[in-house]
Amino acid sequence: MDTVVNPETEVSLIDELKRGDSSAFKKAVREYSPGMLAVARFYLDHSSAEEIVQDCWVTVIDAIQKFEGRSGLKTWLHRIVANRCKNKLRSSKREVATDFSENLEPELAERFNATGRWDLPPKLRFDESADTLLENGALSDCLDKHLSALPETQRSALMLYEAHQHKSEDVCNILDVSASNLRVLLHRARQKIFLMVETFQETGEC
Amino acid sequence: MLMCRDLAEIASDYIDGELNVQKNLSVKMHLMMCRDCRSFIGNLRASTELMKAHSSGNPDEELMRRIDERVAEALKSRNAHDSNNE
Repeated sequence: MDTVVNPETEVSLIDELKRGDSSAFKKAVREYSPGMLAVARFYLDHSSAEEIVQDCWVTVIDAIQKFEGRSGLKTWLHRIVANRCKNKLRSSKREVATDFSENLEPELAERFNATGRWDLPPKLRFDESADTLLENGALSDCLDKHLSALPETQRSALMLYEAHQHKSEDVCNILDVSASNLRVLLHRARQKIFLMVETFQETGEC
Repeated sequence: MLMCRDLAEIASDYIDGELNVQKNLSVKMHLMMCRDCRSFIGNLRASTELMKAHSSGNPDEELMRRIDERVAEALKSRNAHDSNNE
């Protein structure tokens, strides 16, 4: 995020939103929409998720009057989105299909022998910092491609936990998943990114 | 005894400090003896940092513009409604 709302700034932002200040809404839309979209993408396809986020902001104009600050503004907004998505899924009688059965990505699982030792150990060591690695534009593009190819449930869990810095407990509440299922989602997504970076570093191919 | 595969299965929990004391200790012991698993944990951690750094990019401008428009419209109609009721 290019802006970070600290607790004091958040209190004044909430006051401005309650007064219906349009520039406060613009600021909040920029700050919180990416996270709201990550929540919506957990449940819905891309265009339905964008619609839900737009609808939620219109709802927030009135709902903010009742916001008591028991949770942070970000968590409150993310819950509104999650509830709306769940209602939409219920009305269309669809469920979010997610496989929580395996902890290891098949491509990684194949790299161990029958005794559980590495048959094909990690080939390289990524010694550079994330920022240095990202200076390579091709790696950045490759990461974009792989992040967008992740199953939405994994990508949303990863985005909320890593990029939007929610605690595990909050992510579980927002997405309505158990703690152990969240751990599986995060781990599967990280393994995919690890495998992608390893291939890229070794072959230069995405 | 913890094997490399077992460690790979719980690697994210280890990185995020989600393991209980006993499991955490077994991972540490294993890592002391196994260079490949040290590489794996190091690389998984680096991938996580990479993802974190990469995801902090700019939001989708087109979506922001559409939300701004809808919010502005809704605020306008609410203000008009409020002033009619005064």
